[in-house]
Amino acid sequence: LASRLSRTRSEIILVVYSNHVLWSLQRLRILYTKILGVLQNIPKDAAYRKYTEQIVNQRFNLVQTETDVQKLQDKLNSGHIEEVIVQAENELSLARKMLQWKPWEPLIEEPPSDQWRWPV
Amino acid sequence: TVRPKNEVEQKQLCAFGEYMAEILPKYIQQAQVTCFNELELLIHPDGIIPVLTFLRDHTNAQFKSLADLTAVDVPSRQYRFEIVYNLLSLRFNSRIRVKTYTDELTPVDSAVSVHKAANWYEREVWDMYGVFFANHPDLRRILTDYGFEGHPFRKDFPLSGYVEV
Repeated sequence: LASRLSRTRSEIILVVYSNHVLWSLQRLRILYTKILGVLQNIPKDAAYRKYTEQIVNQRFNLVQTETDVQKLQDKLNSGHIEEVIVQAENELSLARKMLQWKPWEPLIEEPPSDQWRWPV
Repeated sequence: TVRPKNEVEQKQLCAFGEYMAEILPKYIQQAQVTCFNELELLIHPDGIIPVLTFLRDHTNAQFKSLADLTAVDVPSRQYRFEIVYNLLSLRFNSRIRVKTYTDELTPVDSAVSVHKAANWYEREVWDMYGVFFANHPDLRRILTDYGFEGHPFRKDFPLSGYVEV
């Protein structure tokens, strides 16, 4: 009875883990599509849009082509899948804030000429 | 003995400084790398929160850790105080310094919304230099005595103070 019980428990753990993996990859895909959607509203010549689209497309392609989580983590070289998800969420919130701040415009104000001179 | 020059790290930091200046031209006035391989970004004070959020959240620059927040007093300048943020990236193992300026009366945006660690550091800068941080949750004295008047780290504050002990 004990061995039968432990077999079903390990099966449950395996099912939970594979569901978690599937869910994380799905979440990554959703996040990357959202980021790309937000980036569409930024002017095309902004450097932020260019570089972020490059990063996101590269990661998106890796997620689409690679189904094995271990190999995906090695290829992305950015820690565990959960950390990659957190990073994608951060990038999404950053993209939304960048839409408001518009940092690609030219410099707000020049500093006074002696401001950054060192030694004084 | 002299520290050996690390050309590779110097080039990487220069490249990263140019990357930052390209993405945020609205706020970054200068970007420089010291001879001991330390990258410094010189910022307009309106850009503190955008630049710090970018450095924290962007994938190529995950500077999640605020190591230090200080100020420097140079009384001969028009904007005498220079606020310095030292950030550390754990993912990429690198450090960066962000510098802004302000004078005695202009408030500066608080970095607490970006890094919780800035809380007590900003209290210390307020107490020691008199730089006011807008939107700080609890800006009060932290190191000086309760009825203390004056801001001790300013260059015009005498070494042994005004009150006899």
